[in-house]
Amino acid sequence: MTKVGRTYFDTRTGESSYADHDLSGKRDARTGETPLPADPTSAVHLIRRVANQDREAFSQLYERFSTLVFTLAMRMLKIRSEAEDLLQEVFVQVWRQARGYNAERGSPEAWLVNIARSRAVDKIRSIQRMGRSFVLTDAPGRAQLGETIESWTAESEVPITMNSALGNLPEIQRKVLELAYLDGMTQTEIAERLSEPLGTIKARMRAGIRRLREVVSSQVV
Amino acid sequence: MAHEEWLERADIYGLGALDGDELIQFEAHLAACPVCDGHIRETRENLAVIARSLPPLTPPPQVKARLLHQISPEVTAPVQEKTRSGWFPWGISAGAFAAAGLVLALTWSLYATRQELHTLQKEVASIQTGSILHETSIEFLSDPHARSVHLKGLAPSPGAVGHFLWNPESRKGILITQGLSKNTPDKVYELWAIAGDEPVPVGTFSVEDKPHTLLKIPSLPQGKSFDKFAVTLEPAGGVPKPTGPMHLLGNV
Repeated sequence: MTKVGRTYFDTRTGESSYADHDLSGKRDARTGETPLPADPTSAVHLIRRVANQDREAFSQLYERFSTLVFTLAMRMLKIRSEAEDLLQEVFVQVWRQARGYNAERGSPEAWLVNIARSRAVDKIRSIQRMGRSFVLTDAPGRAQLGETIESWTAESEVPITMNSALGNLPEIQRKVLELAYLDGMTQTEIAERLSEPLGTIKARMRAGIRRLREVVSSQVV
Repeated sequence: MAHEEWLERADIYGLGALDGDELIQFEAHLAACPVCDGHIRETRENLAVIARSLPPLTPPPQVKARLLHQISPEVTAPVQEKTRSGWFPWGISAGAFAAAGLVLALTWSLYATRQELHTLQKEVASIQTGSILHETSIEFLSDPHARSVHLKGLAPSPGAVGHFLWNPESRKGILITQGLSKNTPDKVYELWAIAGDEPVPVGTFSVEDKPHTLLKIPSLPQGKSFDKFAVTLEPAGGVPKPTGPMHLLGNV
């Protein structure tokens, strides 16, 4: 992906705009610092403390978000050891780059999820490259079947909780969102996987996101 | 192009699925479009709900322990610097401070390296497979150029671990494994050095009754930059390209 005059979160390369953007939002005129939220236990507050190398805040932040990150990592990578590595890598990045987090550019949860997802996509690509050479498996017996990573990925998806926001989407929309978001596939790859025209896939993605936006919005309200 | 179409692409970009020329064109547009920028941020906030829709899995506690251990050196250095400044309130020049910080950092780095080697030596020593193994491994570890790659057990051997110790200068290495199952006579374990997508066969070994194995590598191939090492189970005699299940895998 080519950078074009700004740093921006890139799900293909794993770079994060949050890591590159300064806390340049609403700064205090005297101190030059962004005001902290009123709630000292808020995630934003914790990240600000982590930016000052506060280990206790880092520990609290980990307790709050590690399950979410690990769950996403397990779903995307399927391999427990890889998911554990990814969880560790994400929080090391948080420790090192917390100063670059900008609350105005997204919630802490979205920041962490985006970091985790972009790193997971990189790992998926790496594992897929290896899968062309290796019969890589994390499930006993699968290797004897000669299955590749790609076919394994397709059939071992962790089910989405059906009463969740995503569970409210029509199956065809949910499927393309899952393939893109959780399996790191591009629109072209999804079209090939599902043997559907690219235009159809794009339309389903947009409709799915639109529907998701409505569902999330209604839940917030 | 109407801006509505850019916003449609922004949705797919936010999802991470835009590719090809559309991606290039969109990024060029995005560089000067705060509307699309904001739209993408909002899309990603909404998409985070997908992660929350998954049945939650609790990570094992050792991940946090490893994480806190990993970040601890990064905490220690500034604390030492602050303490030193309190001891010399009469002032030290910025140059002296920088030098002191550098010395501290180097000292810490050396200390961490020595500790790591010491830990590895202890691990090697704990593998009581005989004096030859001990002597070989400790001799290897005493070389300052030695590097260690930790190999984790995958599903066929979840309890197995490995350490590949190698010297990028001499290209020599040794593989120590623990917990691999005994292989049948028609099979053999094979070590692979992986440069990008290319696996290079390094050597084969068998696991017999002893739980630990040692494989000495006389020389890794020159001219390649290896970023992973792996162990697979292959037909007896080894194969030029991997065909069997992967049991151990580690990143450099």
